[in-house]
Amino acid sequence: MQLAIENVSKRYGTGNWALRNFRLRSGPGVLGLLGPNGAGKTTLMSILATITRATEGRVMWNDSDLASHPDALRSTLGYLPQDFGVYPNLNALEFLEYLAAVKGLDAALSRRRIDELLNLVNLSDVRKRPLGSYSGGMKQRVGIAQALLNDPQLLVVDEPTAGLDPEERVRFRNLLSELSGERIVILSTHIVSDVEATATDIALISQGSLVAHSSPEALLRKVEGKVWEWVLPSAELNAARQRYLISNTSRRSDGVHARVLDDSPPSGAQAVTANLEDAYLYCLSRHRAGVSA
Amino acid sequence: MNSARVLYHMVRADFLERVRRYSFLVTLAFAIYIGYAAYSGIIVVRLGEYRGIYNSAWLGSLMGLVGSMFLSLVGFYIVKNSIQRDRDTRVGSVLAATPMTKAFYSLAKTTSNFVVLASMVGVMAAAALVMQFLGAEDPHIQLWALLSPLLCVALPAMAFTSALAVFFETVPLLRSGVGNVIYFFVWTALLVAPGTQTFDKKKNEPVPAIAYLADFSGIVSTLGQMQTAVHSIDPESGNSASLTIGDTQGPPLKRFVWTGLEWTPALIFGRIVWTSSAIFFALIASFFFHRFDPARVGGPGASKAPPVAAPELDTQQPLIAVAQTSAASLLPLTATSRTNPFFRLVGAELRLMLKGNRWWWYLVAAGLSIACLFAPLDAARGGVLIAAWLWPILVWSPMGSREARHSTESLIFSSAHTLSRQFPAVWCAGVLVAVLTGGGVGLRLLFAGAGHSLAAWLAAALFIPSLALALGIWSGSSKAFEAIYTVWWYVGPAHHTPGLDFMGTTPASSSPATYAVAAAVLVGASYWRRRSRLGYA
Repeated sequence: MQLAIENVSKRYGTGNWALRNFRLRSGPGVLGLLGPNGAGKTTLMSILATITRATEGRVMWNDSDLASHPDALRSTLGYLPQDFGVYPNLNALEFLEYLAAVKGLDAALSRRRIDELLNLVNLSDVRKRPLGSYSGGMKQRVGIAQALLNDPQLLVVDEPTAGLDPEERVRFRNLLSELSGERIVILSTHIVSDVEATATDIALISQGSLVAHSSPEALLRKVEGKVWEWVLPSAELNAARQRYLISNTSRRSDGVHARVLDDSPPSGAQAVTANLEDAYLYCLSRHRAGVSA
Repeated sequence: MNSARVLYHMVRADFLERVRRYSFLVTLAFAIYIGYAAYSGIIVVRLGEYRGIYNSAWLGSLMGLVGSMFLSLVGFYIVKNSIQRDRDTRVGSVLAATPMTKAFYSLAKTTSNFVVLASMVGVMAAAALVMQFLGAEDPHIQLWALLSPLLCVALPAMAFTSALAVFFETVPLLRSGVGNVIYFFVWTALLVAPGTQTFDKKKNEPVPAIAYLADFSGIVSTLGQMQTAVHSIDPESGNSASLTIGDTQGPPLKRFVWTGLEWTPALIFGRIVWTSSAIFFALIASFFFHRFDPARVGGPGASKAPPVAAPELDTQQPLIAVAQTSAASLLPLTATSRTNPFFRLVGAELRLMLKGNRWWWYLVAAGLSIACLFAPLDAARGGVLIAAWLWPILVWSPMGSREARHSTESLIFSSAHTLSRQFPAVWCAGVLVAVLTGGGVGLRLLFAGAGHSLAAWLAAALFIPSLALALGIWSGSSKAFEAIYTVWWYVGPAHHTPGLDFMGTTPASSSPATYAVAAAVLVGASYWRRRSRLGYA
C-alpha cells in the first residue's frame, strides 16, 4: 500500500500556484500534513480525494495513476473535507445509508457498519434526529463516520478537529492512531498538537512547497540545542521579538519567560527541550528565509 | 456614519457581488435579447393593422412595456436571492449584530434589487437607441420620448418587483420553491388586474383613469393612449391592441407616428402608487425578517426539530473507552461485500427526493395519482395529469443542484463511479416520481393501445426530470427549474399549446418525438456538465 505524489503542481485559473512541485511518498501510518493557513494543504487534500485535478505532476496509488484510474482510489478512499454539508431533512442513519449506497456498499453489511460507526462517534442516541438540528461538532462526527464507511485504505482528513470540543478532539486523535495500522491516514491541520499526538510521519508545507518530510523524532532533532528559555523584563519583549524567533511567552513574577528559537542563545538564556511546535516554527522560518530545512 | 452612506455601501457591495458573477452576464444577455426580440418582430405591439414607426417615442414605449412585463417576471427570479446570499455567506450574521433596523435592511435589499433590475432596463434603453439607428425610419433622437417610458413605466414596475422579491424572501412559506411557483401566478394576476380593455372606441379615449391605478405594467395606459392616437387618424381601425410574443402574422402593414405618452395626472399618479407600494411591501417584509436568527430560519431544509444537545461524555472513564465500539472492532468490509448497487442507489435517491414532504403532500399526490387511473381518459390526460405533474415540481427542482445547495459535493464526488452510477440514479429517481404520480394515465393509454398518446406520455415522463436535472446542474440552483417549468407548464400543457405542450395533453398539441429528443439532449448536457465538474471523471 503506497501513495506517491510526484511533482504535483496546482494552479487555479491563471492565478497563483497553490502547489508547486510537491513530492512525497507515504506508506501505512498517520502522515501529519502541517502548514500555515493558505499553505496549500486543502488543495493537496482535494487532489488526493480526486475532487480536483493536478495541473502538473501525478499521484500514484499502489502504482496506479490517479488520472487514469480515479475509481481505483475512490473505492478505498475515506475523505473528510474541511467544509462539508449534510442533508438537513435526513437523520444520521439515513444520511450514512445514503452515502453507503453512493459508495456502492452492500446493504446488510453497511447497515451493521453504520451502527458501529454511530457508536464509535457517540451519536447512537441521536441517530434518528434530523441532521438539521445537529450542532457543528455533531455534524463533524457524522463526517468522521462517513469517512470510515467503506473501511478505507486511504483516509484523508482535512482539519478534522475544527469544531470539536477538547474531549472530542482527544477521542478523535486516539481514533486516528487506532485506525492507522493497516492504512494510510493523511491528517491535514495547522494544529501542531493534533499531529504531535498521532502522526508517525510529518510533512511540513509552506507556500505550496514541501518544506520537510520526516519522522517526528527527526524533525525534533533539527532543533535540538536551538531552543532557549529566556527571562527578560516585559518592556524588552518587543525588542526581543524583532531580533529572535519567539515561539511562546508566559508572564511570571520574575518577568517574561520567552521561548527563543535560535542557533545561539541570547545572553542568560537556558537550553530547554524542543517540542514539535518549536521544530515547526523553526523549519518554516528557515524556509521563508530561503534556507533549506 | 449616516443612513444614506450605510445604504449606499450596502447597495454597492450587493451590486458588485452580483455583477462579478457570470450569472449577471446571462442577465444582461437576456436584456439584450429582449431588445433584439422587440426589434426583430418576435415581440410585437399591434394596434389592429398599425404599428408605430421606429422613432424614439415608439421604441421607448415598446421597451418600457417589454421591460415592465417581462423583466418583472424574469427579474424577480434573478434578484430573489439577496437575503439568502447574506445567509449563505454568513454576512447576515455580521449585519444582524449592527444597530441596523429591520426596516432599513429590508429597504436596502429592495434598493439593491432595484439597482440590478434598473441596470437591465438601462441595457434596454441602449438597445432602443440601437434599434432606432438600425430601423432608420426616423433618425431624430428625442431623449425624453425615448427614456420617459423606461423611467416612468418600467422602473416603478421594477421597484415593485424588487420589493416583492424581498417580501417573498422573508415570508417563510414564500421563501422556498413554493414561492417561486406562486410568484408566477401573482405576476399573471398583476398583468390582468386592470382588465384587457385598453380603449373605449365609442368615447374615443383610453379606459377610465381608475384602471391606471391597477396597471402594474403600464400596458393598459400605454396601449390605451396608442389606440386613441390610431383612432384619431383612422376612425375605422379596429379596437384591438396587443403585445405578443412569437407573433406569426408578420409585422402590421400600416404605420403611424407615435409622439409619446401623455403624462396625465392619472398616469403619473398610477406610477407613484406602484412605486409607493414597493416601499410599503419592503416595510411589510421587515415584519417577517428575523435578523438571521437561526431559530427562526424556516423554509426548506430547516429542521422542525429543536437543536439536539451533544451526547454527554462520561468523564470518569478514559476518553477512548467512552465509545462502546473501538476502531479496531469495526466490521471489516471485504471486496466480496460489494454488490451491484445501482437499484439500491436509485431507491436512496428517491428517498432523498421525497424526504421532508409533509403527509398532506403525499395525500394530494396519491389523490391525483388515483384520479389519473379512474377519471375519464380524456379528462385524466388533459386535466388531471397536468395537475399531477405540477404537484411534484419541488421534488424535481433540487435534482442536479442538491449537492451544491447542501455542500455535499466533496462527499459525493469523491466516491467511486459517481458519473456512471450516482448521476443516472438521480435521473431514474426523477423519472420514477413522474411514473408514480402520473403513471395511471400511461397505464391506461397502454391498455387502450393509443401508441402515439402513450409515446407523448412517456416522452413527458422522461423530459420533465431531464429538464430539472439539466437546469439544476447548469444553474446550481433549483430556482431555474421552478420558474421555467411553471411558466412552460402554464403556457404549454395548461393551454394545450401545440409545440409547447410537452405533456401531450391532447392529440393535437402533442409532439412526443420532439420532447424525447429534447430529453436526450438535456441528459447529455447534464452529463457533460457534471463530468466537467469532477476532478477526475
